[in-house]
Amino acid sequence: MNPLELTLGIMTAVGGFVDISELVFAAKAGSLFGYALIWVFALSTIGIMVFGEMSGRVAAVAHQPVFNLMRHRLGLKLGLVTLFASVLSTLITTAAELGGVGLILHYLTGAPYLLMAVVGVLVLGASMWVLPFQWIERTYGLLGLMMIIFAVALVAIHPPWREVAGGFVPQVPKGLSTTELLIFGYFMVAIISAVMFPYEAYFYSSGGIEEQWGPKDLPNNRMTTTVGFALGSLLAVSILASSAQLFGPMNVGPEVAGSSALEAAIPFGRTGLLIALGGMLIAIAGAAVETCMANAYSVAQFFGWEWGRHKKPWEAPRFTLAWIIFFLLSLAIVLTDVNVMSLVEYAVLFSIVVLPLTYLPLMLLANDKKYMGQFANKWLAKSLGWFFFAVITAAAIAAIPLYLLTSGGQA
Amino acid sequence: MTPSDPLKLVAELLDLPIMDKDGRYCGIVDDVELSGSAGKETRIKALLVGPGAYDARLPRWAFWLISKVAGRRVARIPIDQVDQIHTVVHLKCRAEDVKLHQVEDRVRAWIPKRGAL
Repeated sequence: MNPLELTLGIMTAVGGFVDISELVFAAKAGSLFGYALIWVFALSTIGIMVFGEMSGRVAAVAHQPVFNLMRHRLGLKLGLVTLFASVLSTLITTAAELGGVGLILHYLTGAPYLLMAVVGVLVLGASMWVLPFQWIERTYGLLGLMMIIFAVALVAIHPPWREVAGGFVPQVPKGLSTTELLIFGYFMVAIISAVMFPYEAYFYSSGGIEEQWGPKDLPNNRMTTTVGFALGSLLAVSILASSAQLFGPMNVGPEVAGSSALEAAIPFGRTGLLIALGGMLIAIAGAAVETCMANAYSVAQFFGWEWGRHKKPWEAPRFTLAWIIFFLLSLAIVLTDVNVMSLVEYAVLFSIVVLPLTYLPLMLLANDKKYMGQFANKWLAKSLGWFFFAVITAAAIAAIPLYLLTSGGQA
Repeated sequence: MTPSDPLKLVAELLDLPIMDKDGRYCGIVDDVELSGSAGKETRIKALLVGPGAYDARLPRWAFWLISKVAGRRVARIPIDQVDQIHTVVHLKCRAEDVKLHQVEDRVRAWIPKRGAL
């Protein structure tokens, strides 16, 4: 294992972990329920570690990304349904991320939001055209490390650490009314969805193939998905805990995507605000690129096209055309002037419904000794896999009723 | 598994990605063509690739919709052009030799060939 590669991989995972949905739901969860939802972040992080590690291992051993496996396992009919649902949910996620990029550029420059969204698409599209896969992943991941400002800001405001630590214990706050309980349930589902977005498995496993992983890369894969994702998740938890400390007691609801940046402005002033906005911009822009590429990966793999950004754009022409079209469609959604927060809500809602269909074929393949040989799931991976499959299935069933009953957490 | 090995189920082969001898993805096994008839030995004659091969596998309305978007072309790959079947079907020939990659080449003509590292 090359220590430099490992460190870069972990740092990239940390910087690339948080996206607009986690930013929004972490800040809202903290202001509404204090530290009581930290455990859901922790639980879902273990979930994405389990499935992320599995998708990386399958990519390294069977050399197959998730969507190839999905079609082979689910067949054409159910595969097409899954493809359609996942493309739709990931497209909405890309639109939410692009909207977030537009908003933050608007905060930074004062220029009109929609114009900034167009500028964002042009810059991100150019970066995807020019840079090969590893540079794309590393550039956004490493610059996204500016998000560490949120962890530093949490330390600087001296939160009650005992209460923060208590948030890691599974709990439902006492004394909630039925409506508040439903909202708590809605936030649980939304956080599970935001942390375990299906595009992450598509992107991560495709990335493993882009970088030509083999069995020798398995320790690297394990460290990246455990240490990298755990540290990345701590950034989201920091946003939640700061929000609980700063916004909750003053009844401030972080209703816009940029509210979280104030958490760094309070202890560190203008410098903190700028670093936080810079970190958020890169993290959200990175997520926009990842979601857009994830959609292009999915379609290309489903239909057996040439794919990958380790190739020049003209060497995988339909894949290139696909990501350009998905970027333009996402921009078209943003240009309808739909509220970014609504897009975030729809993204988590659609994604949670697709999650079980994404992770079941992956798990079945990772269990299969014929494909995976000695690297097939052992008892721990199997048990955790089935446990989290049950969790995401329950969340998928509860998602739409909870959304309707709570008017998207607003009730 | 090689093409001469008995296939327990056609399902093992359906929906596998296909890679040509240069390591390029060039489609998915959308259907297979069998030889033989009732009471006789059944063998796979060819792999069928392309949206036209979805006909027997999708409801009529879904096939109609897909054929409107993607057309009805089908490429036929004789089984003797198959080298190995594992998680990917490896061909002995180049994609172009069995009329795969036609759409890929058509789209390539529209993509500018500059500016990428």
